[in-house]
Amino acid sequence: MDKRLALRLENVSKSFGPVRALKDVSFELQEREIHGLLGENGAGKTTLMNVLYGLYRPDSGQIYIKGKETTIRSPKDAIANGIGMVHQHFLQVEVFTVTENIVLGTDLQNRPVVQLAQARQRIQEISERFGLDMDANAHIADLSMGARQRVEILKTLYRGAEILVLDEPTTNLTPQEVDSLFESLRKMVAEGMSVVFITHKLREALAVCDTVSVLRRGQRVLTQPRSELSEELIVKSMVGSDEMMRESLIFTGAGSEKQGAWLDEASLLQVAHLSAVAKNGLQVLDDVSFSIRTGEILGLAGVAGNGQQELAEAVLGIIPTSAGEILLDGKSLGGRTTRQVLELGVAYVPEDRLHDGFLPTATVAQNLILGSQYREPYCKKGFLQWPVIYKTAERLIRKYAIQTRGPQDTAANLSGGNIQRMMLARAFSNTIKLLILHNPTSGLDISSVEGVYEQLLAYKKEGVAVLLISDDLDELMLMSDRIATLYRGKIVGELSRTQFDKYELGRMMSGVDYYD
Amino acid sequence: MTENSASMPERQPSPLMALLKALLPYIIAVIAAFAAAGVVLALMGFDVFRAYATILFTSFRTPNGIIQTLIKFVPLVLITYSFTIPLAAGKFNIGGEGQMIAGAIGAAAVGILFASLPMILLLPLVLLAGILFGALWMLLPAWLLYRFNINEILTTVLMNFVAFETIDYVATKIWPDLSAGHPTTVPIGPGGQLPMLVSNPPLHSGLFLAIIAAIAITIYIGRTSAGYDLIATGANPRASRVFGIKVSRMFLLSLLLGGAVAGLAGAIEVAGVHHRLIEGLQSNFLLLGIVIGLIAKGNNGAVPFVAFFIAVLEVGASAMQRTLQIPGEMVLIVEALILLFVLLSDVVQRRRS
Repeated sequence: MDKRLALRLENVSKSFGPVRALKDVSFELQEREIHGLLGENGAGKTTLMNVLYGLYRPDSGQIYIKGKETTIRSPKDAIANGIGMVHQHFLQVEVFTVTENIVLGTDLQNRPVVQLAQARQRIQEISERFGLDMDANAHIADLSMGARQRVEILKTLYRGAEILVLDEPTTNLTPQEVDSLFESLRKMVAEGMSVVFITHKLREALAVCDTVSVLRRGQRVLTQPRSELSEELIVKSMVGSDEMMRESLIFTGAGSEKQGAWLDEASLLQVAHLSAVAKNGLQVLDDVSFSIRTGEILGLAGVAGNGQQELAEAVLGIIPTSAGEILLDGKSLGGRTTRQVLELGVAYVPEDRLHDGFLPTATVAQNLILGSQYREPYCKKGFLQWPVIYKTAERLIRKYAIQTRGPQDTAANLSGGNIQRMMLARAFSNTIKLLILHNPTSGLDISSVEGVYEQLLAYKKEGVAVLLISDDLDELMLMSDRIATLYRGKIVGELSRTQFDKYELGRMMSGVDYYD
Repeated sequence: MTENSASMPERQPSPLMALLKALLPYIIAVIAAFAAAGVVLALMGFDVFRAYATILFTSFRTPNGIIQTLIKFVPLVLITYSFTIPLAAGKFNIGGEGQMIAGAIGAAAVGILFASLPMILLLPLVLLAGILFGALWMLLPAWLLYRFNINEILTTVLMNFVAFETIDYVATKIWPDLSAGHPTTVPIGPGGQLPMLVSNPPLHSGLFLAIIAAIAITIYIGRTSAGYDLIATGANPRASRVFGIKVSRMFLLSLLLGGAVAGLAGAIEVAGVHHRLIEGLQSNFLLLGIVIGLIAKGNNGAVPFVAFFIAVLEVGASAMQRTLQIPGEMVLIVEALILLFVLLSDVVQRRRS
């Protein structure tokens, strides 16, 4: 086949202070291909694409678009050169329609009166041509995450993109939505577009990409067509060694089965008919009932924002409940303060690490004792025992590979992945009966993820009950004994390990079986 | 976790070098502030070097100079803490002078009403009344914040104006000293006066109280779990709540403590300096206290040192005005410039890292 290059990056380097984020990376994108860009967090995937999109200026290196050397100083230049980017966390105006969001920031010619009929028609055409299934008059607030993402894609197509860069596009999608996204990508490629697909989920890359490149520590270590690739090969190049793979839970898929025999019948956590109403009057939890036995991992699936965080916070006594009962080890948690709940042996790793999980202006050591600051051995008779605290902090920093200058370093200096490690270290450093984790492995590299899973299995063996809330179905299916699904604050289904099925979960998550 | 890439702890520099390194931005800021103000002074036709020699050395040349400095130092330290304690919890108390006045009124009231009591009873009562009235003055803003989430900056500032009128009323209507040409009350009982450390020129023992308060506050914030709760609340109230700290109580507590410390400052002014209530005893301590608190970046251990330095400048400023006819406000400008340069050094350091 006579394929031409849509894009070529040559020897691109970029440093942030002493950190070399990209080292002489070259990257070629053929026309009409979907090119997967894989790598662990911090490998440089997003940095490379931000260079292409004009958000960062490279220290050295060239960009060629359709064979022509191009300088890209800003996203505006990138768009003018036919590059469109869909960010992982995009921003949309919720009260605007799809059309209004898409034309926002483009030069409308018919000022001062905004006339959108023409734009609307074009958007509808593009949407039909690529199978994006979009009503141009719909309001963003009424759309699902998958549809909102399609709006972002439409936005780039409307601006004339020929090269589409998608940064972790599947994060908040159900498996069904992922499938339809892939279908649309196929159609776009057939129509002459070229796509860069950034992800850390290798199964997705293998499912949709024509070519896969792997970045590791700022260097490109692999580029192969799909036909010559295997999961194992990709992981090996992502991690850099195959030592860990032989024992790996992730790749042997053992997960929860490994310790399955430890289940017994006693329920450690019982939640019955729990309801909660948010300050704005919205019912965030609606008659939720479930139980977790000692040594059991209960997975909680659901599209982000369907009451997962509220459920965790209701159990912890952070938000008030309107009805229902929570029993931990036979004791009612009703009327107990958060501190009293934590004292009963509950540990929590919140999802929103920046807002809920860490103290940016405090030190790493202060962060590591948050929640236990008044308890022995960190505190005696009201006085903090700094030598003990620092010693513990140093031990945790080493054990969980938190990259920091030390216990006295300001926590704001930590990267996202290291904040996550810090929160896990804090949760795991306590003696616990119930562990509540919300997206515990987000932002972690594979070996750290493996470490978290090992820890969960160790807890399982000790009889700790785990509530594992996650957006990552692979993670849930690997680690859970049962998976319950939340949809609009209600539990709409529960599957036991033998029944696990991605599409069944996806159906529950999108609420198709449930009408209120 | 198998990855073994946690960075090695850096080689520990000697404590002295570390201290010098931490102080360097401050030294540069001070020099830069003096240089910038010096240009203005020179343009105005004044002798810059004599002016600066007066500012910096007046405090140390005579016993009177050093005592003047220490007398200014006491309320400055305490007012600064009334700002930095709530600041630790992320709240801004801009009402230190109102609480100081309230404390002074309380102290004077007790000192006048029970004038005949012996010192062993009256002095503690006078000081306690100051602390209590200071905290009481904060009660309304703190409660409004706790109950209705009304911004404490606004309410604490507004309470200052109420205090200005109240002290005027007390000094002219309730216990006025009719022989004085200025709103002043009659003196408090001799048992309510702080003993003197040096009688001529007079230096009262409130200095010890300020130092004890500074040490206690520094230990409380930095070394107790209750202080940790304050710091955590200030760093991230949302995360603190998630991990079991009662955040709105921390706001309330930090504000009341701030009010109490400011009230103590007022009581010491009454019991140590004036021996009566005088309108205007709050001077411009609040403004300077905020400047000190911000220069110290909320570090409670550093507050006394910064406060002493500012006291030196303030005493030098009066001397400069007397002997060289240079407006004392120049020193206020220097102080503001120091603060600006310290804040600037933060920006520079952040850019570099």
